[in-house]
Amino acid sequence: MEEQTTFWYEFKKGFILENPLMVLMVGLCSSLAISNRLENGIFMGISATFVLVFSNVIIAAIRKWIPDQIRIPIFIVVIASFVTIVDLALKAYFPPVYDRLGVWIPLIVVNCIILARAEGYAYKNNVKNALADGLGMGAGYTCVLLIMGFIRELLGTGKIVLFDKTLFNIAPPYNPPAIFILFPGAFLTFACLMALLNRYKMRKAE
Amino acid sequence: MKQVLKMGTTLMVVGLVAAVGLGLTYSVTRDKIEAYDREVEAKAAVAALPGVNSISELEEERDLARKAAKEVPGVEKVFTSDKGYIFKINTKGYGGPLMLAVGINKDGEVVGVSVISNRETMGLGSKVLEEDNLARFEGKTSKDPLEVGEDVQAVTGATITSKAVALQVKKALQAYEVIR
Repeated sequence: MEEQTTFWYEFKKGFILENPLMVLMVGLCSSLAISNRLENGIFMGISATFVLVFSNVIIAAIRKWIPDQIRIPIFIVVIASFVTIVDLALKAYFPPVYDRLGVWIPLIVVNCIILARAEGYAYKNNVKNALADGLGMGAGYTCVLLIMGFIRELLGTGKIVLFDKTLFNIAPPYNPPAIFILFPGAFLTFACLMALLNRYKMRKAE
Repeated sequence: MKQVLKMGTTLMVVGLVAAVGLGLTYSVTRDKIEAYDREVEAKAAVAALPGVNSISELEEERDLARKAAKEVPGVEKVFTSDKGYIFKINTKGYGGPLMLAVGINKDGEVVGVSVISNRETMGLGSKVLEEDNLARFEGKTSKDPLEVGEDVQAVTGATITSKAVALQVKKALQAYEVIR
């Protein structure tokens, strides 16, 4: 077991074995809400990964000085600071994206993924592993958002628009049901992905 | 006692470092954020009044805006030019604040409506805010009822946004009557 705890192992567990959305099932609220566009997935994924990586690293670095009783307030201060940095940066440099992601960026503060990794992982591990964990969890989270964003945007609007360019458009013959970009579509898509993943796991177990 | 002191100091140090970092980020991004907000507002204002090509042709009237806002809540800014008036109106849409620029010419007719910012649902509420739909308000005057179901058609599945837009145009016309 000791040999397995390498950088690579810590990184890749975020994808399938402990994928924050599909396996740990934390941080679903904002993910389901914003995954109605591929572009949202990209920016939300990057933002959350940024916060996750930096809060993990900082918390792992200062974990020996943090008194046990006040660790949660300190986690929140660290996380909230990075979220505010992302919030301001997005607003300044990608304002159209900020308009769309709106309230969900500040809400990364209370996203369970980040606090769960801080408390459950970074607080008990060294900086290197915490960095790998943050990167892996962030990448796993982003992947799921991208898949869901792609499916929902394609089914719900009939086209994929990325950075103001329409990549492809199947709308004329296909009449897109708007339900996919609304909240029920998020549950439908997520449930289908879960079913696929579980099927894959069952196959593998056999 | 010693423990309390230690906890307090740790928390203070963390807080201070965080505050410094945030202050730096804020000072770097502040100008950009303000510039963008102004640019968006200017673009929408110019688009709402045909014949006006740049924000420099418009005059911001703070006194008129204050006067109008007293009678018509939601009026935030008033611009004037020789072509007419532009009202920046802020009310609630379905997903949050909805801000429109409504252009009204000297005869009291709506000549253009454009969006400054919105939080409407993509694919439903956002359809109400598309250009050809907003163009339907052109030619309306304060004599029109501007009610969804009477002279304004609601977009299917986006009744609240449709009502909000109609209300904003109505408010702009009311504000026009106040300051005319």
